[in-house]
Amino acid sequence: MRRRTPAALCAAASFVVIGLLAAKAPAELRIGAASSLREPLGAIAALFAGEPGGASAEIAFGASSVLAVQIRAGAPIDLLLAADARIAEQLAGEGLTEPPVPFASNRLVVVASRDLPPVIHGPGDLARPEVRRIAIPEHAVPVGRYARDWLRRHGLETALAPRVVRTEHARATLSAVDQGHAELAIVYASDARLARSARVVLEIPAAEQPTIAYAGAVVRGSREAPAARAFLRFLADPRAVARLSQAGLHPPPHTLQTGPHPPPQALQTGPHPPPPDPP
Amino acid sequence: MSRAELLSMTGLTLQVALVATAFALPFALALAYTLARRDFPGKPLVQALLALPMVLPPVAVGIALLLALGRRGPLGPLWSLLDVELVFSWWAAAIAAAIVGFPLLVRACEQAFADVDPRLERVSRSLGVGRWQTFWRVTLPLARRGVLYGVVLAFSRALGEFGATAIVAGILPGRTETLALGIYSRVQLGDDAGALTLCGASFVLALSAMLVAETWLRRPRRRFEGPGA
Repeated sequence: MRRRTPAALCAAASFVVIGLLAAKAPAELRIGAASSLREPLGAIAALFAGEPGGASAEIAFGASSVLAVQIRAGAPIDLLLAADARIAEQLAGEGLTEPPVPFASNRLVVVASRDLPPVIHGPGDLARPEVRRIAIPEHAVPVGRYARDWLRRHGLETALAPRVVRTEHARATLSAVDQGHAELAIVYASDARLARSARVVLEIPAAEQPTIAYAGAVVRGSREAPAARAFLRFLADPRAVARLSQAGLHPPPHTLQTGPHPPPQALQTGPHPPPPDPP
Repeated sequence: MSRAELLSMTGLTLQVALVATAFALPFALALAYTLARRDFPGKPLVQALLALPMVLPPVAVGIALLLALGRRGPLGPLWSLLDVELVFSWWAAAIAAAIVGFPLLVRACEQAFADVDPRLERVSRSLGVGRWQTFWRVTLPLARRGVLYGVVLAFSRALGEFGATAIVAGILPGRTETLALGIYSRVQLGDDAGALTLCGASFVLALSAMLVAETWLRRPRRRFEGPGA
């Protein structure tokens, strides 16, 4: 009986020791990737592991903004693949990553629930009385910002403001329309493919599309920086591009128009060649 | 979703919750006993602070843990020196779960210790039994029911922990993706069927934990208070 206390303390201590041993950093490429990349990235990582000079990768998925917070705190990430180039540029500006390289892009579309009569033929129809609620993410979510910019462009932001249902993220926006909680939503084309009952009612013309760039950036001081750079280059490989396009993502924009400095100069300062032009 | 995936996520969830509870228990017992037996200035403040992990937004707990465990945080040099990487490991998930479940554990244990008549402890001491032995042989057995209740509560809370875990352990499929994180990421990806399967697994785990609690927690009552109680 007398021995029990030391035994309990030993058990607690051994937990800590085992924990520290088990938590030794594994020697492989660690990627922090936007949740929307989950489908294509698993396959791309498997391809990359089989490449000469490739490496096996461990991927943490999350919202790009959360990944940025994690990188700032020193989370073990060698390569960030963000759904919003601005987030990657901001980290680069803070000296935490190398200059970002765009590797894919997305488009905005307007989707409608099946309950809405076919009344949407142009941007102006968004203000029709049949549209009682329109789902748009918070301003802090990139798609929310893009959607608001586009509405403002058409002078609709104020008119629609009372009808806006603020959603938490891009997928929740689609669900809101799929489940009939809102008549309309502005979502990514890649998300719209996953709709159950909602349908795309308005393709936003290329001229009005915001630059929605997915960008990758190698975290400075990472032990696996060469492998991270190689992975970033591999995203331009035709096999990787094919996987990305299966997920509804397009080739990257030629330039990143998010920073105050003029592209493309900004992109070519990095150690990576810019991705090839789309065919 | 494959059966192997489901099994590994369920296993990981159990592993995280078990380690979290085991890790928190010694600290909770010591704190709860002190709170139940001693009065000291600032005791309400200590009790309020102890409740914080339960009432704070879990994401706030996650951010605090991320700063504490991250290599660029105030303790960063320590982690670099030890060459450990806690962030994004399942240990981070266990630590998050332990902290979030800790208030439940302390509260239940404190109540359980308070319900043990201090005179029984005094009798034990007067018979020449030491302080520690009295705790192990008198207080703890009498408080067992409440302590176990706290253990099960904390364990169940750990099974479902999401907010702090997502921040500090990340969502690494196969490594830190517990059932709660898996449900979230599948909903985000539009995989409703997968999410539902994982919800089912969570339901079964949570229900089993509570059922085990009911079975365990009833037995001491019969033993100590007799069948007529």
